[in-house]
Amino acid sequence: MQPFFEATDYFPADTDGRVEAMAKVTGKAKYSAEYQAPGLCYGFFATSTVAAGKIVSIDTTLAKQADGVIDIITHEHKPLVPGLADETKIRESRFGLPVFHTDKIYFKGQPIALIIAETLEEATYAASLITAIYHAETHNIDFELSHPKVALKPDGKERGSLQAWQQAPRMVEAEYTIRNEVHNPMEMHATIAHWTADNKLKLYDKTQGVNNVQRTMARLFGIPNDNVEVMSEFVGGGFGSGLRVWSNTLAATMGAMQVKRPVKLMLSRPQMFMLTGYRPQCWQRVKLGADENGKLLGLYHQGRNSTSMYENFSEGFTRECRLIYTVENLKTESATVPLNLSTPTWMRGPGDCSGDFAIESTVDELSYLLKMDPVELRLKNISNEKDPETGKPWSTNYLSECISRGAERIEWKNRPTGSGQLTDGDWKIGYGMAVGMWGAGRQNASAGIKMQKDGSILVQTAMTDIGTGTGTGIQNVAHDSTGIPKNRIKIELGNSSLPPAPSQGGSTGLSSITGAIAAVCNALKQKLVDYATVVDNAYKGMNIADLLISETGISARSGNAPSISFTVLFDTNHIDTIAVEASAGPGDERQKFSFCSSAAHFCKLRVHTKTGKVKIERMVCTVDAGKVVNSKAAANQISGAAVGGIGMALMEEQNADNALGSLLANDLAGYHFAVNADAPIIEVAFINKPDFNSNPSGAKGIGEVGIIGCAAAIANAIYNATGKRLRDLPITPDKVLMG
Amino acid sequence: MKPFNFIKAAGGTQTVKQKKRTGRFIAGGTNLVDLMKKHIEQPEELIDISGSVPASIGKKAAGIRIGAMARNSVVATNPDIIAAYPLLSKAILAGASPQIRNMASTGGNMLQRTRCPYFYDPTLPCNKRNPGTGCSALTGDNRMSAIVGWSENCVAVHPSDMCVALAALDANVIITGKDQLTKTIPFKNFHRLPGNTPEQDNNLPADALITAVEIPGNAFQKNCFYLKLRDRDSYAFALISVAAALHLNGTTIVSARLASGGVAHKPWRWYSVEQFLEGKQANAQVFQQAATLVQKEIKTLPHNVYKATMLQGAIEVALQNCLNA
Repeated sequence: MQPFFEATDYFPADTDGRVEAMAKVTGKAKYSAEYQAPGLCYGFFATSTVAAGKIVSIDTTLAKQADGVIDIITHEHKPLVPGLADETKIRESRFGLPVFHTDKIYFKGQPIALIIAETLEEATYAASLITAIYHAETHNIDFELSHPKVALKPDGKERGSLQAWQQAPRMVEAEYTIRNEVHNPMEMHATIAHWTADNKLKLYDKTQGVNNVQRTMARLFGIPNDNVEVMSEFVGGGFGSGLRVWSNTLAATMGAMQVKRPVKLMLSRPQMFMLTGYRPQCWQRVKLGADENGKLLGLYHQGRNSTSMYENFSEGFTRECRLIYTVENLKTESATVPLNLSTPTWMRGPGDCSGDFAIESTVDELSYLLKMDPVELRLKNISNEKDPETGKPWSTNYLSECISRGAERIEWKNRPTGSGQLTDGDWKIGYGMAVGMWGAGRQNASAGIKMQKDGSILVQTAMTDIGTGTGTGIQNVAHDSTGIPKNRIKIELGNSSLPPAPSQGGSTGLSSITGAIAAVCNALKQKLVDYATVVDNAYKGMNIADLLISETGISARSGNAPSISFTVLFDTNHIDTIAVEASAGPGDERQKFSFCSSAAHFCKLRVHTKTGKVKIERMVCTVDAGKVVNSKAAANQISGAAVGGIGMALMEEQNADNALGSLLANDLAGYHFAVNADAPIIEVAFINKPDFNSNPSGAKGIGEVGIIGCAAAIANAIYNATGKRLRDLPITPDKVLMG
Repeated sequence: MKPFNFIKAAGGTQTVKQKKRTGRFIAGGTNLVDLMKKHIEQPEELIDISGSVPASIGKKAAGIRIGAMARNSVVATNPDIIAAYPLLSKAILAGASPQIRNMASTGGNMLQRTRCPYFYDPTLPCNKRNPGTGCSALTGDNRMSAIVGWSENCVAVHPSDMCVALAALDANVIITGKDQLTKTIPFKNFHRLPGNTPEQDNNLPADALITAVEIPGNAFQKNCFYLKLRDRDSYAFALISVAAALHLNGTTIVSARLASGGVAHKPWRWYSVEQFLEGKQANAQVFQQAATLVQKEIKTLPHNVYKATMLQGAIEVALQNCLNA
């Protein structure tokens, strides 16, 4: 196990920067909106001012007269997208919002027109001159009022029976609520659409998956996948908002078709709040029974989340309770609540993050009822050996070790056993903890290598790097697999014409791609052995594990085969480059085992009794994510996720006015996410034990577990400090004070 | 934003003559440009005063004079301000972000508009932005709204931290009117309560220009504190803020100043509390009693009932911290 990082020595020994670091810090790295194209013009959305109804008419007269305006697309004036040609096709497309293919208004802020102009400034101003007449209908964005009216339905297989534990000696039951949260990555969603021929489309698009955009647009426009090239080489954050193809990509493509010029469309910051998804609002109820010794007897988890009027998005927050603990009797129910808002989507730790807050708060509450240490209660009930849902053995699961190590680090022994016991003037001090788990998935992925005559290689894949350090991870794995020095390994990512790869999401990116990298490195070695055999027959039939690659050439680990320089190797074979490609994916190990990543979060904080202020003093996150292949970026992932968890716990909330059907404060001043001042140095450690069943690198996904459990750890620490059990996120100072 | 002309100010008293009713002066632009992007402000012409209005900070016989163009970060770190008016420095540093403070001017800070979310969305009713359309916050989300001095027409609060300190320190605002004459407006009369004209934030005459702020000398250097409670620890507007200053003789309070942000349409002075404190001993019990006095002045709204409790706690803590400063 890697030692804990000390505050004074926070960064792990691996001090190599990211492969793309220089490009990013020198501004050479280009994000989607930064590219140019011949004759490029600019689009901007005008959006609906009502939350429900129909468009009666749109007046574009003034806008058309404004300087620089080229054309204005509306539902009445547009190139018809074949895949959205009628209601049936719209439904079948599963695209979501059929922008400009309907007169229906589903939410306030829905695009009703795309203004295309010579400059961004002209397009933006002309958009302000668009007016529309609506046949407004009654809107509903009130989740609190609406959700009790929606019947809950069974969600997942019931274990045992609900009746079996209703007389359990210890029982806790409570309701939890979480408000809408938004992703709002630094880089706003943007598209440059360029029809290079009548049926050939080139897109620069901010996305977490270029192949997903490629398939989606090809399908909508009825052209072959190969005719759509999508580039997203650098991505300024995603958090899940880039896992779908949104209206900006479709509208820019329609615009480019209409004006026969490339069109750039970037969402404004306010538009980011409604056009790229969000973590839905939810209500949950948890009932948990245990015996006097703290053995869990039964769990009943119910919940509803908000969705839009035009799509059903179920967050899946009842999944988390099925993963962590051994519970013989378990029942889960869920439902979605349609509102006049845009469709929510996956946001970091989707579902599990919300579900975990309810479950881990309830487990904490049970610990006080039992007068048992919450660490002990969890260690007693965690399913260490097998997946409680499927009964399959975990491939690896070191959650209990995460808990023990975290408890040691934060000096859990100093925690007062009761609430409200530790005081410093007007401050109350408390400790809290919670755990989080995430199913560790893997998908099929492909990668290619091109080796030049100087022995340097270029590793290529369509996978994007949304800031998680994928490129560096790939470089590390390629170096470990081939022995080629890191400075001779270049990485190229985020282009749909490169070997295909899944979207980077759900903590599957690195797990999926490292398999492909290992495979393609083996393919390269095999090719080198084949070419070497032409030079010297001693290489014939050599096991690739015996091949050594150096800066100058190849040699054999043992035996008689002589060293061969790259020059001789390439010249003798009359080649300039060696190109290989390989794919890899999950196999029958997925039938034998269950896979998970897990984390334990510990928090020490203080609460001011007279002002309600909460100050987090320490956050300790101990994580099992298999082998850490890129320690600096991995620590950064967890640290960033934990800061996101602080935001979720204490401040993130999309305000709305139910009567007016309107979101409020759609900017980064009005929507509060955590900043550096709100977070201590996050103390991160990894168990760092490989899971070779997961993939050849032994690494498991890390993006989600850093946030799953954070909010509950903080809420539990607030309880330990004050005796106030706060079940409505975010826990803002007013709730602390008045709770 | 709407296309506009951009010109440099002529300088001196000529600057005010340049301005047309449809024009706006621009200093740091940290608020005006945002408002223009949202089409809340649509000036025909911007007059850049950054090169012509004084940015200097100079001691005067009876206090200090801060040029209206002095950037917030410059004021906050000025040695004379830190030595003689530490409360002002503390308040400024509690506001916005370093980047914004580097741009924002002293005069512009006083003229910034409310951050009430309804004001910022041109599609929603708001009397301040669009007189006669109604106050959405009165019946809507008023968690951050006023608890004192509001009217049925507007419950917005003034967003500035700097102004809370200037109110506490009895500053004066120096302006040049359209008639090119220099006038002084006492700070307490500079900002307005909403009444029936919430569209007017302050009493600066039309087309007049703020040229400086003057603060008289005081004895609050040793015992002052600025407490800001907010949803996050940086770059957030106050739920409640308190500027507190005590002039002590031993443990006896000679005089006190107490003002709040996040409570009213203007920086709000708690005169009754100040009077109560004068002559009393500076101790926890007195501070606790003093803080309760605000309760009879305030009237909360459905979503900001918490502010009554938070304000009382904040006053107590701010006064207590004056002793620890």
